[in-house]
Amino acid sequence: MEELKENKAKELIKESTPKVLIVDDEKGLRLGTQRLLEMEGYYVETAENGTEGIEKGTNNDFDLAVIDLKMPDIDGLQVLAEIKNARPNTVCLIATAYASYDTAIESTRLGAYGYIPKPFTPDELLYNLQKAYTQRVLMLESEQLKKEREANLLELANERSRLSTIINLIGDGVLVINKQGEVVYRNNAVFKNLNIVEAKNNIELLSKLPDKIIDLIDNYLGSDELIKKSYSTQIEIIHNELFVEAVTSPVPNPDGTLAGVAVVIRNITELKKIELIKNQFVSMVAHELKTPVAAVLGFLKIIIDKNLNISDQQRDDFVSRSILRLRSLLDLVNDLLDISRMELKTKQREIVTLDIKEIIKSTVELLEIEAQKRSISFNIVMENYVPVIKADQNEITRLFTNILSNAVKYNKEEGSINIITGSNENYLIVKVIDTGIGLKDDDKEKLFQEFYRVKNEHTRGISGTGLGLTIVKQIVDSYHGKIEVESQYGKGTTFTIYLPINNNN
Amino acid sequence: MALIAIIDDDPDIIEASKLVLKSHGFDIITASNPDDGYKIVMEKNPDLIILDVMMDEPDDGFFLAQKFRKNNVKTPILMYTSVSKTTGYDFGQSDMVPVDDFVEKPISPEELIEKVNKLLNKN
Repeated sequence: MEELKENKAKELIKESTPKVLIVDDEKGLRLGTQRLLEMEGYYVETAENGTEGIEKGTNNDFDLAVIDLKMPDIDGLQVLAEIKNARPNTVCLIATAYASYDTAIESTRLGAYGYIPKPFTPDELLYNLQKAYTQRVLMLESEQLKKEREANLLELANERSRLSTIINLIGDGVLVINKQGEVVYRNNAVFKNLNIVEAKNNIELLSKLPDKIIDLIDNYLGSDELIKKSYSTQIEIIHNELFVEAVTSPVPNPDGTLAGVAVVIRNITELKKIELIKNQFVSMVAHELKTPVAAVLGFLKIIIDKNLNISDQQRDDFVSRSILRLRSLLDLVNDLLDISRMELKTKQREIVTLDIKEIIKSTVELLEIEAQKRSISFNIVMENYVPVIKADQNEITRLFTNILSNAVKYNKEEGSINIITGSNENYLIVKVIDTGIGLKDDDKEKLFQEFYRVKNEHTRGISGTGLGLTIVKQIVDSYHGKIEVESQYGKGTTFTIYLPINNNN
Repeated sequence: MALIAIIDDDPDIIEASKLVLKSHGFDIITASNPDDGYKIVMEKNPDLIILDVMMDEPDDGFFLAQKFRKNNVKTPILMYTSVSKTTGYDFGQSDMVPVDDFVEKPISPEELIEKVNKLLNKN
């Protein structure tokens, strides 16, 4: 066992060439030791007196030093003290012919690792040096570990401050309550999200928390067993202006007991606003869908009711009116689907180079029959050069169909529709000028809103979904174009559509 | 026989309601917007007003009902409602909604006649 250890130490020394300093005033011993150690694989330097020993031992990081106790200039114990002071990891051995109990104690106190009585045999020296070198390796390892630990601690401190900076930067309020119900951590967003203007300390902060949050926290603190679930609640902090969602979660100790409660407070005002708009939209859609259904059901109930005894002519009238209502309901559903597809961007677009002249001409052809019934005339004025645009043919056709069919529907008998096409550097410009019923200022503002339909004595009997211009606006916007409307009530309306040339969509 | 005013912007609803009520012997006057509705009520002084809640604007029916009460028109009002259930609105009698009863669209002829008779017999 002991032998094995020794062999191992010998190998280690051959591999690593330990640096040894021999401090001795006896020349023969110095040289003899040096030769012996170099043969064993050590690197050796020597000093012939105490002064040289201090100089060499403090300027270089020797692994080992063998110091003679009695030297003419400086005492070996002082050499030992100076070297240990400058190089605490140099393992020092004291060699002496005057071994005494007192010097042994003193040299140990000063940091000597061992004591070699003179005269010593080569084996005695080598054995002591091997042991000392093993110590040196251990000391260096522990030094390394200590350095790493210090670096880790620094890292940890940095990490903590970084984490706290991050938590302070996030928009969600973070609040930690300990088991005693005291606030132990809060970031700045807690104040902002709960609209707490001032809290001098954490006790005051606690008193200003909304009841709903306190209730959730008490839930955890008041329970005998650890509640592992998270709970959330929505709170209206400022009426219609600030909504938050508070999520509470337990913070467990490593042993599974409750350490505290963490609360995350998120501002959900925007979400609530969207929810409100969505609800309004849903109820508007519901109303628009229900209205024709109610009318048709009303007619059907009359037709089937034997007591009412309606004439054949009345029955036919009700049936054809029901068909009209159902047709417009179908239009409405189709428009709604288009709008939702466009908003979801799920609509497959086929972007091609389009000749706007062709689209306008074919759209006019389609509407001509309807227009002629009421003696409305189309008049197309096109510049010789009309730039091409890149867009989806169906969408652009839909755009002009909606605009032009409105120009027919809301026109007067024997009215006219002028279509003027031109361009500037950036846009293809199409003006659609009708001589129709025109718009009041109020109506102009709401024109592009979903389901908005101008209602006055002139529009009675004109059917529509109220979504045509909403779709137009959506299409124009999706190509980064714009649409303008000018109108004079009773005289007519002009829509000007700008579509970007060279757009890359 | 009693005179009933129907105020609704949907001509088909007016037509259907009118036919059902006429078959039960009521006389009917109609209007398709709040202004005309107010006018015919002031001129003809009907025994009952049937009023649609949503006309041009979502609350047109409410505003017209309030206008009648403000101007001392005490005629009973039966209100047609449409999406109250969808929107979570629960209508009830109040100063905000000074009407006497509600009929949810689509209208069932029996329910309409029953509610009309009830309101007319109250006076």
